[in-house]
This record gives sequence, C-alpha cells and structure tokens, in this order.
Amino acid sequence: MSHENWQEQLRRGSLDLAILLTVSAGPRYGLAIIQHLEAFTDLVVTEGTIYPILGRLTREGLLEAEWVEGEAPHARKYYRLTQRGAKRLREMKDEWRTLAGKIARLMAASEERHS
Amino acid sequence: MNLSETGESRINGYLFVLERSLKTFLPGDVVRDAVREIESHVRERIGASDGAPNEHEALEKILRELGPPLRVAQAYSAERVIDEAVTTGRLVPIARAIWHVATTTVIGALVGIALFTGYAMGVGFLVVAALKPVFPNNVGLLVVNGIPRSFGAQFPTPPGAVVYGGYWVIPLSIACGFAVLALTHRAARRFLSRWRERRQPTM
Repeated sequence: MSHENWQEQLRRGSLDLAILLTVSAGPRYGLAIIQHLEAFTDLVVTEGTIYPILGRLTREGLLEAEWVEGEAPHARKYYRLTQRGAKRLREMKDEWRTLAGKIARLMAASEERHS
Repeated sequence: MNLSETGESRINGYLFVLERSLKTFLPGDVVRDAVREIESHVRERIGASDGAPNEHEALEKILRELGPPLRVAQAYSAERVIDEAVTTGRLVPIARAIWHVATTTVIGALVGIALFTGYAMGVGFLVVAALKPVFPNNVGLLVVNGIPRSFGAQFPTPPGAVVYGGYWVIPLSIACGFAVLALTHRAARRFLSRWRERRQPTM
C-alpha cells in the first residue's frame, strides 16, 4: 500500500467519526458541517463528496435529516444525531481512544529502542 | 450576491450534469433530494461570497471546491449503490452495482462481462436440470460419433447423437448450478468490496 493510499484509508476511516462528532453538538446543515470539519481537520478534500456520506449515515439511522424553509433565501437540510447515532458515537470514541493509546504506546516503545 | 444570467446558467448546467449522472443509478426521489441539497450548498456559498469583485471567479471557485459533478455522482454511487451491495450481499443491489461499475469504467465492464457469464452459466445448469424430466432424450451429455459435443439441451438432437447421463443429469446440474452461482456471487461481492476500497473518490 502506498503512503497516499494509506493516508486516504485513514482519512476515510475517520470521516464518519468526525461527522458524528460535528453533529453531536446540535443540528447542522451540510455546509455548516463542512465548514466545521474544515476548521478543525483537513479531512474534507472535495466538499461535494460529504453529502453522500451524510446520506449513508442517515440511511443507517445514525442521523436524521429535515429540510428547513424560511431561515435563508433557500431551504437548508439539517442533520441531527439520533439515539442510535449517539450510541454509535460513544462506541467509536472509545475504540478510537483505545486504538490511539495502543499506537502511541507502540511508537514510544519503538522510539525507546532506537534511542 | 445576485447572480447574472450567465452565473445562473453555469449553476443550472452543473446541476443538470449531476442530475443526469445520478439518474443512472438512483431512484428519482433520491436524485431530487440530492440535487436540491447540492443546490442549497451552492446558493449558501454564493450568499457568503457577497462582495466578491468577480462573479465568474467566485462561482468557479465554489464549484471547484464542491468537485466536478461526475465526481460527486461517483461518490453517491460508492456510498449508496456499492455500499448497499457489499453490505447486504443481496442479488438485486449486487446486480445494480455491477451494472453501474460496468457502465462507468473499462475494467468494470470486463469484470461485469465475466460475472454475467458466471451467473448465466449457473442459471443454465439449473435450466438443464428443469428440462431433463420434460425432454429426457434431448438433455444430457451429447456424444456425436463417439465425440462429446456438449452438455445441455439440443433440439433436435443431431443425427448419430447419443445422450448420456440419464437422470443423474438432474442432481449433477443442480449441484453445478448452485456451486457456480455461489462462487460467482462471492466473487462479485469481493470485487465490489475491493472496488469500494480502492476506487472511492477522495473525500
């Protein structure tokens, strides 16, 4: 696997978690989610490809979507976390922390041996 | 920013290409919702770029960051059609995903032909099993002048042909049919799974 491919897999794997985290603070519409992700991460390379992911997360029951009219000159589609989504988010956060901790320990051990 | 007629045409052109691409593999209501959401994104960005000196440049930047319509459509395909096929493993989603992959790339087309051949062969074996009790003298291993010619059904049998296999053809064909179908289906699912991992557009 090339370095770019590895980075891509890593980015893709963490994007679901990043989106769920973004929406966990409260309902957001697509562009607001993208802007939040762009402010904190470099996970969004092509803005238009976030929408299909939001669609999948909605189909999986982790998010629910609702069109809101009148707030802006055009309608906005808001996404909010469902109960199932909140449960999945907790699991994903635990798994992420566990994995990150293990990799950090592994890196520390490796650096110790080399020093 | 109030768009000029040219700007509106540019947006409508983008949305038209996106809609056409999505329509090839998504139901109408899903396409309408997706296009509406992308349009909302574009309008939102245009509204935020009030004061930009050059409408053309501002609009092109927005569309560039959104991604080409075909790429956005490809992302929908990866997330919806292929994801559904890989996750559920059901025949219809798998067939739809293979069709989509086969009609968008050369490699996809070649693999699609191979998989179609596999499914057709599996169904062919089952048809042979079904035909044997009805046409016992036309279905089986056809040997003409001592040389095996084919396994299946032939109407009428050629002169000098002898049909071998008897009623053993039925369980044999059923076993072969299901085995070929299962292997092809497994191969299709594995192919789509790898396709999803490797070909999904950059997020």
